[in-house]
Amino acid sequence: MVPLEQLHLNHVLQTVSALESVILRSFGPEGGQVLFTRDTGQVMLSRSGKRILTALHLDHPLARMVVRCVWKHSTITGDGSKTFVLLLASLLRIIHATASKETHMFQSHNSTKAAEAATARHLADKLLEFALTELDKFIVLNVLPHGFCVSLENFTAKTQHNLSFQTLLVSFFHTRLGYAYCDFFRNLFCELLSHWKVKDDQPSFSIQLLNNSFPALHTQVSGVPVSCSRLIEGQVIHRDFATPCPQVRKQPLKAAVFNGYLGIVHFSSWTERSVESIIATLQSFGVSVLLCALKQSSAVLAAATQAGMCLVECVSEEEISLFTYVHLDFHDCEERLKVKPCSLVICAPSEGQADQHACAFQDALRMLLTALEPMHKTQTALKKTIPSEECTSLHTDNISNEAACRVHLHQKCVIETGCVISAGGTFEFLLHHALHQYGHSCSVSVNTSAVSQLLAKALLSVPRQIYSHNLKHFLQAQTRVMALIPRQPNALSNMSLKLLDLGFESVSCKYQLVLAVLQCLTNLLRMNMLLRTHTILHTKSHNSLNAHSESSEDEDED
Amino acid sequence: MALNGDEEDFEWEPPTEAEMKVIQARRERQDKISKLMGDYLLKGYKMLGDCCEVCGTVLLQDRQQKNYCVSCQELDSDIDKDNPALNPQAALSQVRERQLAAQVPAAAPELNGGPTSSLASALVPQPRPEHCEGAAAGGRALLPPPVVASPPPPNTTLQPVLEEAEEAVLTKLRWATTQLQSSASLEASIQLCSLISSCANSLRSLRELSQ
Repeated sequence: MVPLEQLHLNHVLQTVSALESVILRSFGPEGGQVLFTRDTGQVMLSRSGKRILTALHLDHPLARMVVRCVWKHSTITGDGSKTFVLLLASLLRIIHATASKETHMFQSHNSTKAAEAATARHLADKLLEFALTELDKFIVLNVLPHGFCVSLENFTAKTQHNLSFQTLLVSFFHTRLGYAYCDFFRNLFCELLSHWKVKDDQPSFSIQLLNNSFPALHTQVSGVPVSCSRLIEGQVIHRDFATPCPQVRKQPLKAAVFNGYLGIVHFSSWTERSVESIIATLQSFGVSVLLCALKQSSAVLAAATQAGMCLVECVSEEEISLFTYVHLDFHDCEERLKVKPCSLVICAPSEGQADQHACAFQDALRMLLTALEPMHKTQTALKKTIPSEECTSLHTDNISNEAACRVHLHQKCVIETGCVISAGGTFEFLLHHALHQYGHSCSVSVNTSAVSQLLAKALLSVPRQIYSHNLKHFLQAQTRVMALIPRQPNALSNMSLKLLDLGFESVSCKYQLVLAVLQCLTNLLRMNMLLRTHTILHTKSHNSLNAHSESSEDEDED
Repeated sequence: MALNGDEEDFEWEPPTEAEMKVIQARRERQDKISKLMGDYLLKGYKMLGDCCEVCGTVLLQDRQQKNYCVSCQELDSDIDKDNPALNPQAALSQVRERQLAAQVPAAAPELNGGPTSSLASALVPQPRPEHCEGAAAGGRALLPPPVVASPPPPNTTLQPVLEEAEEAVLTKLRWATTQLQSSASLEASIQLCSLISSCANSLRSLRELSQ
């Protein structure tokens, strides 16, 4: 008989509230850092929500599920793990309060707890449906007009687009790595992007390439000051030569890449001859460097040494694929030759810090990728029109069409990419106001009104936590943002410039965050039973999730 | 369906002030539980998939594999809050009330309340051992160490008060001894030993007083 346990709304709420209180102290610009200590004595400081949550020892299945959702979200967008948990907890609390009042909807259930759970499930489903169908319209109409667009055309020019891009990067690195190095890393990041930029392709293409091959593209060096981090030309293969390396000749080097074994593994006289013939063939082609993915036999090493070839074995798959991509695929097209492949060297006093900097870099790439995703594409006409003069003034020097913000009055199709808004809760305040107004308008049904007001109320918890140290600042921030609303959007007024000081965050990332939270919420509330198994249930993602944790906890639930 | 909904809407009344206070207190308690759980999780405690049988809170487990319920062992439940036998704050407030009553010459002081009330008058309440790793074993049974200086109660009521106090201390001593025999944790054993020594000191001072 498999033991069953009923899951109540209280359990869910308590678990998520505990996770919320874990990340709450590190949240916001005034949040602190968590000190991680290992049994080996190593210490590390971090504010990253993903790192904090994955380091916790959690056996409760609901908690593990939430942490896994946070991890997956963070892997895609690079940011927002703490905001995720905060929003989730706030939504659960409001739904719990609403469900305990409105259980009359499901009177057929046996107990009040079951009725509450059913009401909560129903509310969560309605919320998700509302978010998937209508939320993007609210964002496009009410939030985007008060934001700015980033462009990846020219990093060094001092245009307004470029300023937005620089500010976005600085605020990201500031939240992740602190005030001291955010400018330095912003410059390094821009340099890396400019080296890898492919002229005739969309910027997101090169960012995607960098993101996919980031493990092969960077080297971490510990024991050196952070300011020594820099870019070096070419690609670093993180293996030493297995054979003595002769002096570099002047002509261009030819390299051969092998994914398998040279010859057959078993040692025999026939094998020796075949290896020798392979090496002789390579020598006739003028190959002087051999890159191998696997460990080669001693016969191969001996033959290579005799022929004077440098051999590197056990090269990682990512490095090999990057190498072949740069040297083979890029040479197909003439224009692509203009890419100067370079590698990033990240220096830090300790290993843990170097790892943190590398993660911050990769997360910045992911954040940019999400930010450049098209926000909204609709065939319906816009209700509010945006004056065309202000629109054209923003991109006089921007003729290409990738990352530009473009609103056509005559066309009924809107594609917004790369939009950012000032940080500090502006997104939440604007969306809260819009949803609140919508909920109170007469043209909506009672259900939709309830749902939109619920979401509006939950969104306000984020800026409330940001300004939790001082209620006055919260009210001031709210007033400042509300004052933006009646203004003409896209106007570079003094107010907008002041908001630049707060830093920027991507609107697309925020939208993805809200959707991800609502999906996680729906999944959480759909569960109502806990089955205790006697075997360990592991999935691949679970294993990679616990790759950092040192403790070997027993997963049996008896 | 919609009509039914409207009728039941009219049946729902907003909660009264007393109910609001209860709801508020419950919410605050839940917030305190969450905060404590978060603190323990950051200290390295493990969140288990089980719930406490008494109060239904999610259980935590420390490094020594001992289970710990935050609400039962750190926060008092709503019922036990005012019981002076279980809560030194309540005991202290009761003692203060008694002292005030004793200052009025006509009224004789009433010997109500738990046996620990007179002991509490000589004791200084300590902060809860929330920050100790071995807090699980101590729980609310940890008595603060006795303070020697204390206002002497009036002579007529001294003897029965001292007897009650002695009895209470002996009960606690017995309890601590049984706990010590079954204790598996080092921290807990150290704390129980210190409890036993403080009980012995209290007994000595009580016997000196009675002589």
